[in-house]
Amino acid sequence: MRLLLVEDEEKVSRLIVKSLIAERFAVDVAADGARGLEMAETYDYDLIILDLMLPGLSGTDALRQIRHRDEHVPVLILTARDAIGDKVRHFEIGADDYLTKPFAFAELIARVKALLRRGAVSRANLLRVGDLELDRLSQQVRRAGRRIELTAKEYALLEYLMANAGRVVSRTMIIEHVWDQSFDGATNIVDVYVRHLRYKVDEQHERKLIRTARGVGYAISDEEGA
Amino acid sequence: MNTHSIRFRLTVWYAALLGGMILLFGASTWLGLAHYLNRSLSDSLAKQAQQIGENFLTDVGVSGENYVISEINEHFAPEMNDHFVRITRADGAVLYASGAPKSGSFDPAGVAPVSGISSQQFTRGAHLPGGGELMITALPFTARDGSRFLIEAGASYEQVEDVLRGLLLALALGLPLTIAIAVAGGYWLMRRALKPVGEITQSAERITSRNLGERLPEMRTGDELEQLSISLNRMIARLEESFLYVSRFTADASHELRTPLTILRGELEAASEQSEVAPNLRETIGSALEETERLSRIVESLMAISRLDAGEARMEHGRLDLAELAASTTDQMRLLAEDKNVGLLCEAERQVRVEGDRARLKQVIVNLVDNAIKYTPAGGLVGVKVWASDGHAVLEVSDNGVGIPPEALPHIFERFYRVDKARSRQMGGAGLGLSIIKAIVTAHGGQVKVESVEGRGSRFLVELPIADKTSK
Repeated sequence: MRLLLVEDEEKVSRLIVKSLIAERFAVDVAADGARGLEMAETYDYDLIILDLMLPGLSGTDALRQIRHRDEHVPVLILTARDAIGDKVRHFEIGADDYLTKPFAFAELIARVKALLRRGAVSRANLLRVGDLELDRLSQQVRRAGRRIELTAKEYALLEYLMANAGRVVSRTMIIEHVWDQSFDGATNIVDVYVRHLRYKVDEQHERKLIRTARGVGYAISDEEGA
Repeated sequence: MNTHSIRFRLTVWYAALLGGMILLFGASTWLGLAHYLNRSLSDSLAKQAQQIGENFLTDVGVSGENYVISEINEHFAPEMNDHFVRITRADGAVLYASGAPKSGSFDPAGVAPVSGISSQQFTRGAHLPGGGELMITALPFTARDGSRFLIEAGASYEQVEDVLRGLLLALALGLPLTIAIAVAGGYWLMRRALKPVGEITQSAERITSRNLGERLPEMRTGDELEQLSISLNRMIARLEESFLYVSRFTADASHELRTPLTILRGELEAASEQSEVAPNLRETIGSALEETERLSRIVESLMAISRLDAGEARMEHGRLDLAELAASTTDQMRLLAEDKNVGLLCEAERQVRVEGDRARLKQVIVNLVDNAIKYTPAGGLVGVKVWASDGHAVLEVSDNGVGIPPEALPHIFERFYRVDKARSRQMGGAGLGLSIIKAIVTAHGGQVKVESVEGRGSRFLVELPIADKTSK
């Protein structure tokens, strides 16, 4: 998979490249809009990550021209602007996703993978992490064969964690998927639900599946430590 | 009526001044006329006495007294003319005395007899016992044969008084009428002149931080008021400029913080993912990441507030049921309350329609309920209510928690204000939650109010314009 990153902030682009390479993507970098457009027109990329505030040709204009030539390449917009109006406008021009700075890099990776439909969200009916099973059809959860009763929100939270098993999901991502943006920032609702979920899922078991990535979010996995 | 209004005060001054002037004018007219009338009466009486003396008394020794009497009666007929005529000899005997006037206005018998003949002409007023007052001019007269007489000619004051009474009546009727007309006219003129002030006031009332782009109507009156409206508009322009500057500064500052925050966060995340990191260093990185996240939230909130304040935030506009929104949001937060062992009650059965941005209004409810739960100890109660009253949709979030000290109440909606610095920081807040609530509610044309008793709880009221008054 070959990705193009158009980002003028050198340190930001270095960090993004690093985390993308860690996920085994090949990444090309362009530091301004004109160069980014040139590269997008020259090579065949699987995905383009485009910063909006660029010297010279702006990200918005670059996006418009990229879309003019190629309707299909997924474009993830990266910006320091968060006005909803901006967001809507860029979706109209043809952006596929939108991430506002500052973002969790875990979230960037998750969104990139989701756009590439490469194991981002498991579509399987039965999700499994260790001896924990979640059946999407019957909406039942079992651990070591024993049924666990969950409320609707707890189920939604566990399903989201298990669909992204092995990856850290940020609080923002959890809130967006399980609740909605209105809850962002104001409350510790995610932490409270995760605590309740932990009690039901991990309390009676030696092996703890849900882990906290401090300052980033939560993950569910069967790996020790990590 | 506002007794302090310029219109009222000026009219009162105007009326008082005019009333005073008319009174002064009336009084001087009255006095002048009284003086003139008395004078002309006494002049005509003196002339009459003079004529009687010169025409009939000069040769009294020759013509005889009866001639005098018949001549006076024939020429002057005092009884017919309401006059009094009396001629007294030097010895005090009366030569001639007119009878009672035909009109019966006075009784000549009541005029006191004279005791002697004075050397000079004089005029006196005589009050008669039967009522009435006469002006009598007495003229000493010496006939050709040397005999001396005193000729008295008198007339009732009544005719003078009649004229003066008429003037007084005219003044008494005219004064209030003139003042009334003047007040009405003055009031109308003032209203006309001050009408632009009312317009300026009304438009100025409408201008808030949300519509500083608007201007007052420019008065094309060419007077001081036009100057005033122009000056006020210039002031509003300067206000707008500085207001925009502050909000632009906040937006720019939070914008500029984003890139370094992204880098900081990326570096920390990358560091924490390295497997060789020592556990205690991982803790430190985790703590730093948490602070980075909090910093991001502050930047996010500041950005949101400055956008809302500057009216730049793009708002979704749709009709929604505030009661339903409150009920469902409260329901989603039930676990937060249970987790703290705080009761959470929602009374919002009747539909209350408002127009606005669903996500942002939900954020208001989330923030208020979250705050209430945070500041209510275990065993306490948080209540959410929605109802309609007076064309307003009202959302109430109340608790019986720690409350807010009275000195803090006026400031709680200010940015970064914290009631209890230690406690709220421990809760992870930045003192922006209530500012966001206020900015959102203001952007919806509503207002937030708070009542609180320290130690007994707080009550937040959000009032929004109702979308449809006929809805049930």
